[in-house]
Amino acid sequence: MSLAIQTEKLTKTYGRKARGIEDVDLAVEEGEVFGFLGPNGAGKTTTVRTLLGFLRPTGGRGEVFGLDIRRDSVEIRARVGNLPGEFALEDKMTGEGLLAYFARLRGVKDLGYARELSERLGAELHRPMRRLSRGNKQKIGLVQAMFHRPPLLMLDEPTGGLDPLVQEEFLDIIEEVRAEGRTVFFSSHNLAEVERVCDRVGIIRGGRLAAVETTETLIDKSFRHVVLTFAEDVDKEQFEALSGVRDLEGDGKRISFTLDDGLDEMVKLAAGHTLVNMEYERPSLEEVFLTYYERENGEGR
Amino acid sequence: MSVVLNRGEKGRHTARPGGTLFALVSHTVRMQLRGVIIWGAALGLYSAGMVASFTAIEGSADQLNQLMEAYPKGMLEAFGVTDLGDPANYLHSQVFGLAPLALSFFPILALANAIAGAEERGTIDVLLGNPLPRWQLVAGNFIAVSISLLEICAVVGLLTWGTAVLTGVELSPREVADAVLNLWPTCIMFGAVALLCSALFHRRGLAIAVPAFLLFGMYLIDTIGRASNDLEDWRPVSVFYYYGSAIENGIDWTHFGSITLIALGLSFLAALVFR
Repeated sequence: MSLAIQTEKLTKTYGRKARGIEDVDLAVEEGEVFGFLGPNGAGKTTTVRTLLGFLRPTGGRGEVFGLDIRRDSVEIRARVGNLPGEFALEDKMTGEGLLAYFARLRGVKDLGYARELSERLGAELHRPMRRLSRGNKQKIGLVQAMFHRPPLLMLDEPTGGLDPLVQEEFLDIIEEVRAEGRTVFFSSHNLAEVERVCDRVGIIRGGRLAAVETTETLIDKSFRHVVLTFAEDVDKEQFEALSGVRDLEGDGKRISFTLDDGLDEMVKLAAGHTLVNMEYERPSLEEVFLTYYERENGEGR
Repeated sequence: MSVVLNRGEKGRHTARPGGTLFALVSHTVRMQLRGVIIWGAALGLYSAGMVASFTAIEGSADQLNQLMEAYPKGMLEAFGVTDLGDPANYLHSQVFGLAPLALSFFPILALANAIAGAEERGTIDVLLGNPLPRWQLVAGNFIAVSISLLEICAVVGLLTWGTAVLTGVELSPREVADAVLNLWPTCIMFGAVALLCSALFHRRGLAIAVPAFLLFGMYLIDTIGRASNDLEDWRPVSVFYYYGSAIENGIDWTHFGSITLIALGLSFLAALVFR
């Protein structure tokens, strides 16, 4: 499968004080929905702005659909629908005016799909921007990013300010985009929606790419929440002594803990007692994500 | 299902060659229409008022000129007063000698907004998300503001000449056309300074302050230089030295062309810096 986005040691620094991104190696395949996760200031927006040619990289290289991000940014932007994180529009403009203007810039003659998207998202196209709420502006931002059916969508916090029903409609649209074989690269703080629609996720922290996995693998490779209930009181110190166990709570017949690894050892130890019930839960993506950041803070200290 | 035209390889949408620049210019000109009407009406009505006031002083022009002789010669030269009985000289001293000081703020504000203002408002990423080369953003805004400035000049000219016709003041369409057209290169040059500062500093405040400082500095150098021998040698560094009085002497096309070339050069530099 060919790549929609590929970077090799992509670096953008803003001088000594401000952190940008460093040595980011990223490969996003065509047709996948890729979630890009990280807190504010981790480097998500810098990565997107560098890929689109808004910022010049200070090191490394990057390609979008095989086009060089330094040389071919206009060609790249012709293939990308972009929703910036801080989406802002001229106060005087209406959504209708903006879409007509962008359609002329892109050579799009038919605004049928734009109207369809506006209707589905409930975007108000006839009021000037200054009279629109944040959520309504965001809807117009989404429509302007998608109306020309670009092969790659780059969306920074796309559901910010949207109500739950519209968020749901937006996620349906993303699934349709994937079904059409188009690529979506999006960052979000809403990890439940990332978990729902993303094929793979990349976690960026401190300007460096910390992990890239399929959503399933990232969760599968992670810890488990375990709750064991026994017929008789057990010595919890036996479980606490296992190398993969942490955050153990409870005493007597019921204990709960987080298991990082050593499943076989834990099961064998539990089997030495009369086990009444065993709960073995996967963490949410949010918990996995937070773990990465706790690790970073731990390293920082 | 909608039908998408002009769809190339890998779903690439592009306007015709030059289409993006045309779309940007036509959109920007449309967005500036309200400003054109306000600026044109304000300056045009002031000019029309001055034309109308000429009818009141016309009969007593000789006495006024005698009165003016009591003023220091340098001061009269500074404000271009030679014969207040001549409507062209009267309008130059009351309107067109000063008009660039006010009208230059239209291109200064518009072109400071084009890059730095859009960056500060956060609107530039949305616009540049389209397949629009960065140089076209600079060139397109320069062209659009140049057109809007011409429209303002046309409104001022029409109101001035119309009032002259209505009040019977002897002012030919050619004189009025020369006067308003001569405003254009000087004003757009200060706009080009704002555009360059906008691309260089990415701060709207600075992109307004620098050309505004230059505008008043150059005006003072030329005005004081006319009255003072000490500053006379400095006058050629001021654009107002080359501005002259087109309503009386017609347009000096060499100066007109030179100032326009400087404005184009500054815009070219802005495009290079913003590239």
